[in-house]
Amino acid sequence: MVTKSEETELNRLESQVDNGGGGAWEYLCLVRKLKVRRSDKVLKHGLSILNDSKKRSSLGSEEWTLYEEVAIAAMDCQSLEVAKDCVNVLRKKFPESKRVGRLEALLLEAKGSWGEAEKAYSSLLEDNPFDQVVHKRRVALAKAQGNLSGAIEWLNKYLETFMADHDAWRELAEIYVSLQMYKQAAFCYEELILSQPTVPLFHLAYADVLYTLGGIENLLTAKKYYSSTIDLTGGKNTRALFGICLCTSAIAQFSKGRNKEDKDCPDLQSLATAALEKEYKQRASGKLTVLTSAFKSLKVSS
Amino acid sequence: MGFSVGFVIGLVGVLILSHAAYSTSQYRGLLKITEDEFSGPPFSVVVELIVGLVLCMWAALTVPGNFLSIHPHSDENRMVSLPDNLDFMIFNHRGKVFVPEINMKLKH
Repeated sequence: MVTKSEETELNRLESQVDNGGGGAWEYLCLVRKLKVRRSDKVLKHGLSILNDSKKRSSLGSEEWTLYEEVAIAAMDCQSLEVAKDCVNVLRKKFPESKRVGRLEALLLEAKGSWGEAEKAYSSLLEDNPFDQVVHKRRVALAKAQGNLSGAIEWLNKYLETFMADHDAWRELAEIYVSLQMYKQAAFCYEELILSQPTVPLFHLAYADVLYTLGGIENLLTAKKYYSSTIDLTGGKNTRALFGICLCTSAIAQFSKGRNKEDKDCPDLQSLATAALEKEYKQRASGKLTVLTSAFKSLKVSS
Repeated sequence: MGFSVGFVIGLVGVLILSHAAYSTSQYRGLLKITEDEFSGPPFSVVVELIVGLVLCMWAALTVPGNFLSIHPHSDENRMVSLPDNLDFMIFNHRGKVFVPEINMKLKH
């Protein structure tokens, strides 16, 4: 999870490293810790450390972690030569390692030789049938070939065994959303909220899915989850504030003739619009007119 | 030396407390000689105990470090983005078309 202060730290280090201010190793460590995908930067700065034998030897055993990190980054940037060199160095150092075996299979994936990669993963699974990373790579392999229903099948099978893996639940939810299977996606997000109730982004994603599904029941629930996102973020999530406005407007359309007002919190929407107006005034005062006209078309006001 | 003010104050607090313990035992020894009943510690010991307690408490709260926020919406705890799901990352994206400008090689 990337918190606000960690994000600020990452951006600070990134601009420092990009401008030649040093701290490349700290940057690479932070990228690895936060699991963010900055492959081009990792490749550039990681290689400059690896090519400098003095810097490299000062890392000690961390050197091999860096080789792995750079290899994956190079595959992501399609610099397959560099990736191959890194994997070869690792293979020389650890001839028996399963982790390097996974890396070799990943290199096959990057080359696009799906069949060989599949074979490599199968043989890795024969050695250790409970290797979670390899199971996940098979899902990714299906996804890379555009076989999304296959990926869903693999993922469901994987989740039957490893139910606590929230990364896999999230991946499944995102695949379902991309296929517009919102009911199934909603189930995955429910699972994620249950396992990590304090992550506002899952509440937000669940509310988005419910809003997309539509229907008065779902809209009312979506509004509640947008509210809980605001609660968990202290009102600093703009998307949740907009969500409240959209939900209120949609609910008002449903309950027009029936005169059945949403009684739980009548000023929720006016508070949300006020918060949005304040934020726009502070950070993008030029866009304020766009915001007010959007409110007008939604028939909400502060 | 690297002793901070808080650490020195904590040390003084511990010294005061141990002095209070020492004077209490002295006082009880004196009571045995004069064969009086023990009704309570002398006033000076009580003052020492209170002062020592305050100093130690202050040092214990400041020396080990700052308090961390428990509010979910504080900057240290507020999540702004989820990690990229690197276990499921796939390589057929536009990186294939845009070859990186840097043409670096692993030299050995």
